[in-house]
Amino acid sequence: MALYIVEADCISCGDCEPVCPTQSITEGAIVFKIDKRTCTECEGDFDVPQCVKVCPIDNCILPLEA
Amino acid sequence: MSQNALSRELALRIALAARALPDTDAKRLVTVLAGCVGMPMTESKIAAIDLVTLKAAQQGEFANVADDVLLQALSILKNTASDKILPAVQAYQEGDLPNSVRIACASDDAIHVNGHFGGCTWFMVYQVNGEEARLIDIRSTDIPEGLVVDDKNVYRAEQIQDCKVVYVASVGGPAAAKIVKLGIHPMKLEEVESLADIVSQLQQVMAGSPPPWLAKAMGIEASERFKFDRKAVG
Repeated sequence: MALYIVEADCISCGDCEPVCPTQSITEGAIVFKIDKRTCTECEGDFDVPQCVKVCPIDNCILPLEA
Repeated sequence: MSQNALSRELALRIALAARALPDTDAKRLVTVLAGCVGMPMTESKIAAIDLVTLKAAQQGEFANVADDVLLQALSILKNTASDKILPAVQAYQEGDLPNSVRIACASDDAIHVNGHFGGCTWFMVYQVNGEEARLIDIRSTDIPEGLVVDDKNVYRAEQIQDCKVVYVASVGGPAAAKIVKLGIHPMKLEEVESLADIVSQLQQVMAGSPPPWLAKAMGIEASERFKFDRKAVG
């Protein structure tokens, strides 16, 4: 269970990086990326994923299937 | 007669100002202005007219005209705002420029990106690809008379809804959120730059390796994007 950033939509604003409670978000070579091994979708920390909450683009951060 | 002759430029401005006023032709405006300052009219006399004088002239001929409309007419008359000569708009038809994006630049002088999103006089609209750029439209930000607008910034954003990017000298947070909501990417510049520089910078990025969101806006399929993408991310 983790989230991922849709590369084609991310504008590299960086708003998501500081709000991640598990420091799973880093700036990648192209756009920001989420470490699927550490992302908890904010469970235990917040009611809703904080990156999704602050992201200015709709449907840019989505749940990783499987 | 010659002493009553208007300079060519002043005559043009009177004609333009008359068009900004409801049911007013140049003759009616000239009559009112003559009532304000007498003949002959000169630049300096026109520059001295204020809203109160204009409203009172000719027994209140324009007393019922809205203040903002009169102020707009005055600014045209005095050459203080929006009647600078605008650059010519170039023809554009959908499909003329492959892999192009449409952008808007907030400008007050039609030369620089120097406008605040919520206060600029114009949006200069360009269609740009890596090789070519055309100024395809100059959109006034004036709200048409009689139109009730709940939110000025939403109205402004709607005027450029067909654009992917809007370059501004400054924009407020809530306004930026409204712009993003309409699918437009706001770009606030560090310092004022000319329209030509901004367009050519964008062209360089487009011709080089555009970021994924821009490539998507250009209509480039993910599979056609740069190979190093995949390697770098993996």
